[in-house]
Amino acid sequence: MNTPSGSQVERTVRIARRHEAVEDARRVAELATSECSAECRQAVSLAVAELSENVIKYGAGATDSDPHAGTIGVSVDDDMIRIRAINQVGSAEDARKVFDLVSRISVQGGDIRDLYRSRMVELFSNPTIERAQLGLMRTVFEGGFRLSCYVRGAELEIVAERACRIDA
Amino acid sequence: MIVGEPIVVESLEVRLVNAGQLALKGSVSTPTALAEMKRLFGLTHELAVTSRLERFTVDVRDLGFVNSSSIRAFVDWISRASHAGYKLAFTTNAAVTWHRLSFSVLKTLAPESVEIVEERPAGSPS
Repeated sequence: MNTPSGSQVERTVRIARRHEAVEDARRVAELATSECSAECRQAVSLAVAELSENVIKYGAGATDSDPHAGTIGVSVDDDMIRIRAINQVGSAEDARKVFDLVSRISVQGGDIRDLYRSRMVELFSNPTIERAQLGLMRTVFEGGFRLSCYVRGAELEIVAERACRIDA
Repeated sequence: MIVGEPIVVESLEVRLVNAGQLALKGSVSTPTALAEMKRLFGLTHELAVTSRLERFTVDVRDLGFVNSSSIRAFVDWISRASHAGYKLAFTTNAAVTWHRLSFSVLKTLAPESVEIVEERPAGSPS
């Protein structure tokens, strides 16, 4: 669980605990990826939306005086897009669950389509399951991102990276 | 729902095209839009059951973005259709990544109850 290095210019948006914040984050992502291919922009939009929702749903630490639950940062260099989602977690157990999920879906050679389908089968068979928990899997399966997770005390950071193609 | 009259919630537009077809347009990224989409899926399911339809078409070609909670709503609808015994036929757009990838997985949940009609935009490679 170390800290990623980052030298690119990053556009960052603070995520307030309100669902309009997802659209705010997607707009920042659109600005950051305006020169990328349509496929890249779709992927980034998806990842930013899913990571922002997670920050809103699970981020601890927002207060009446500071409603922000975390931050989303997007950076693009010549051939790589990086999205960073940072938030406080309510407990070490919460952080561990996210860390374990990211580890499971980031296994080299693992079949993310199988994992995504398995989760859908669970939801299909048991409609009362409260949390879909499809967001991070979609980010990898549909968005083509590679995920990593870092825990520093009560702070959780999820990094999503993928190759970037510039529009011809 | 009245045939031909669109229902618009935030950036989502839903229209009952006819008694056997629903069209969705725009995006779903908020709980409000999601709740409305789920409500309309429920109404449409009731319509399909009471009308004893064998097949219901859902046109998502212009549904550009949905969050993962919306994917769950499609899973739930497929589950209900499968139990009720009618087929859901999704018309998708091959140029939209989430259509291509997620609907191919959704179909595997109940292959006999789900049909995917993938349309390619003019000029796209086959």
